[in-house]
Amino acid sequence: MEITQDNVKNQHNTQTIVATCPACGLLCDDVLIENKQLTIKVLNTVCAKSNQFFEQALGDNSPKVNGQPVTLQQAISHAAQLLQASKKPLFAGLSTDVQGFRAIYNLASKTNGKLKHMNAQSMARNMAVLQSSGWQTTTLTEVKNRADVIVCIGTDIVSHNTRFFERFIWLTHQPSDALFTDASKREVIYIGENLNTKAGVSPDGRQPISINCSKADLPEVLAVLRALIAGKDIIAQSVAGIQMREFLAIANKLKQAKYAVLAWVAKDLDFEHAELSIQNITETVALLNSQSSRAAGLSLGGSDGDTSANNANTWLNGFSLNNDKFDHDAMVWINSFNAKKLPKKTDIPLIVLGNANIKFEQIPDVFIPVATPGLDCSGTLFRVDSAVVLPLKKVRGNNLPTLAEVARQIEVLL
Amino acid sequence: MITHLKNGRIYCPVMGADGVVQDIYVRDGKIIAKPSSTEKIDQTFDLTGKIVMAGAIDMHSHIGGGKVNIARMMLPEFQESKKYSEPEAHICTPSCSHHATPNTGDTGFRYIEMGYTAAFEPAILPINARQAHLEMADTPMIDKGGYAMLGNDDYFLRLLSSNADQKAINDYVAWTLHATQAIGIKVVNPGGISAFKFNQRRLNLDENHSYYQVSPRAILKSLSRAVHDLGIAKPLHVHCNNLGAAGNFETTLNTMSASDGIPMHLTHIQFHSYGTEGDKKFSSAAAQISEALNKNKHITADVGQILFGQTVTASGDSMMQHLNTKYANPKKSVIMDIECDAGCGVVPFKYRDENYVNALQWAIGLEIFLSVEDPWRIFLTTDHPNGAPFTSYPHLIRLLMDKSFRNEAFAKLNLDAQAMSNLTSLNREYSLYEIAVMTRAGAAKLIGLNDRGSLGIGAAADITIYTDQPDREAMFSKPDYVFKDGELVVKDGKVVKVVWGKTHTAKPAFDIGVEQGLKQYFDKYHTIQLDNFKISNDEIAEDGRGGIINQSN
Repeated sequence: MEITQDNVKNQHNTQTIVATCPACGLLCDDVLIENKQLTIKVLNTVCAKSNQFFEQALGDNSPKVNGQPVTLQQAISHAAQLLQASKKPLFAGLSTDVQGFRAIYNLASKTNGKLKHMNAQSMARNMAVLQSSGWQTTTLTEVKNRADVIVCIGTDIVSHNTRFFERFIWLTHQPSDALFTDASKREVIYIGENLNTKAGVSPDGRQPISINCSKADLPEVLAVLRALIAGKDIIAQSVAGIQMREFLAIANKLKQAKYAVLAWVAKDLDFEHAELSIQNITETVALLNSQSSRAAGLSLGGSDGDTSANNANTWLNGFSLNNDKFDHDAMVWINSFNAKKLPKKTDIPLIVLGNANIKFEQIPDVFIPVATPGLDCSGTLFRVDSAVVLPLKKVRGNNLPTLAEVARQIEVLL
Repeated sequence: MITHLKNGRIYCPVMGADGVVQDIYVRDGKIIAKPSSTEKIDQTFDLTGKIVMAGAIDMHSHIGGGKVNIARMMLPEFQESKKYSEPEAHICTPSCSHHATPNTGDTGFRYIEMGYTAAFEPAILPINARQAHLEMADTPMIDKGGYAMLGNDDYFLRLLSSNADQKAINDYVAWTLHATQAIGIKVVNPGGISAFKFNQRRLNLDENHSYYQVSPRAILKSLSRAVHDLGIAKPLHVHCNNLGAAGNFETTLNTMSASDGIPMHLTHIQFHSYGTEGDKKFSSAAAQISEALNKNKHITADVGQILFGQTVTASGDSMMQHLNTKYANPKKSVIMDIECDAGCGVVPFKYRDENYVNALQWAIGLEIFLSVEDPWRIFLTTDHPNGAPFTSYPHLIRLLMDKSFRNEAFAKLNLDAQAMSNLTSLNREYSLYEIAVMTRAGAAKLIGLNDRGSLGIGAAADITIYTDQPDREAMFSKPDYVFKDGELVVKDGKVVKVVWGKTHTAKPAFDIGVEQGLKQYFDKYHTIQLDNFKISNDEIAEDGRGGIINQSN
């Protein structure tokens, strides 16, 4: 087994490795794992997603055509035939890293294929805002060292990014510390429907502020907040059941903050025209920055390589990925990371290049198990803030091909 | 295999060749001496009447990394604009797409089609270097490299404000070059990007950063010294304080003295050459800046010429770009604080010849080009895409080489701006030799590309061959042939073979003990492991496509 890093201890066939976790957009790279004869155990984290990712079984590595085991070459050649016969294939899922995406991008270019990520719908909400007004944002190390007021809008964050508060807000693990603010005194504010605010309780037991409003009322609530920051007079005494003095209290906290961070998770803002609510958040930030204090937006969540696919697609063809509907006559489902993310049922030819542990509801025409970056092969992934790009390590022995290898071999046959 | 380039007129400032007819021989990607008569010549190109130069080198062009990709992502309408016809005053060739944010493939193709064989990304955020290299790896045809940004990162500012000794700074700078696979060091708005995070909105050269209590001058002094002590070729790349602000020329003049005579390069100096004279309180200070450049031999500069049309400004200077968001056209922009490392500001912009300020910016850039005497110390850039897309270079070259063409363009400008410029009194016309200095030999010397920018024996065979045409824009738009590392890659302005180029780096020796302090800092304040910050050679050479050239060997 070829593992090449300094921090590996090899005792009695047991290896301890500091790994980078691709299970969510935070890419925690401090995950201590133990590899004992191919069985991996996470030693130091409290994140169920991370545990599940690293501790997943190796799975059946044999490629299948119509559910029957075949050789890799046979599977590749069958996939190539199906793509050859297709006039307009859709490459969907796209759950992979930069290297895998590049190879799929090339394959799609060669086959007149279209691309659509499994998180396309929520990504499109953010892209609509970026392409309409832009935004003023920050990244995780700035949050950790600077943020004194953190507003979680329509999300508890931790359902997506388990360790957000531990790693970037409360800094409960030694020697973690903040350069420019007292982490323990940060103010956390939640706005949303029955959010789990537990993670926002400070280490000394201080409760966060929680503004409870239904998802349906969130757009209006955010519009009021933006109007107040803009200095507009609001005649109503309450909006969505929230008293104006509560709004004013939040607005004042934002204005008085040294570095207010307004965070959202596009996936949780799951309602019609949610992009307009995100825009109200980002324009509130812009207003604060145009006045007398500093503030920044922070889009969180992210997983299945969505930020990586979007960035790589943008530099390779000039456009971000989108959520358009495409007519297609064959589908290639790419899912390297999470075995539970399945393709929709379909009548057209289906090729799956994915995690070896997938349990199919519909047997695909071709299934080629591929290596999972960060576990079975090395790779490169963008963090949710898009600024940081981290290498992923191969942490266990296996004979799975990488997605890039499979895609290239299919391409050669076309 | 030996290639014989026969009877071309050679313009190679490294050899002092100013249009001499001379043969060139190429083998294994290098220029070689005339082979003996027994050696087989595999192919011969008759270049009678043609002009031969080394491949051009763009020493400052935003081709890779976060902010360029944000610009692409934010501006899908630019991708469509490929089909648009020309905007104001800009006379185009068919290959000039006006497209400010090409994808990586188009970037490489457009460069090589113009005879450029290398381009350098001047603003790599160390924390984002991996992305910059990923994008450059997907940029075909040309060599690339970049300058790592320091001077707004909290690690450096902590060192400086705690009076760390110069050796500690030098080791950190060298470590950064290695970790980010860069060939030079840049500082953007020294201290200003960091100060903006502390709610400072402007920072002057001798004003203190409110938290660290250090001045931009002290930052420049420390970083220029470090770069000099390490012995790398590329002088500190400086984007001065007060970008784009009326009256900023005084900051620029004072910056020249900040390094106590140690070499510094002042980038896109056009954007830093503004006075406050006249009714509109915005005037050209090109004369003062050029005079100072002529006098201060330790200073080099590139111009950052603006040309009219739609583009996008992508800068690390979040402080000044935040002030510019109100001029955004179309009306959208991105401002980011990034990782206690740096920041960025991406603001789309449309330069219009009927606009007083824009018209004068155009004139100021040309005034500087024509008033700086030594072509080895001034470089041809548009600060792509900030002043204009790099595809405008042939047009810019014609403006420099053809006085009547220049004056005709000037006559179309905003009349108030014409009244405030002395451009028509500048009679200089650049020669082909001078163009070869500023786009080839000078750029290679500045960056420290030991084997590039020359047609001398032993140089890498990056060679561009043009038909001599009176219309210099047409000539420089479409070379007859381009050779990259000895291979014919462009014929009649079209790519005939796809190659991938290499990444040029500088890796000076340093004390690895610097990692002790860095490790503690990362563990405490950063959000990634120190080891993951560093980019390995293997990451760049992946797929067997790319590779590293270490120019400090």
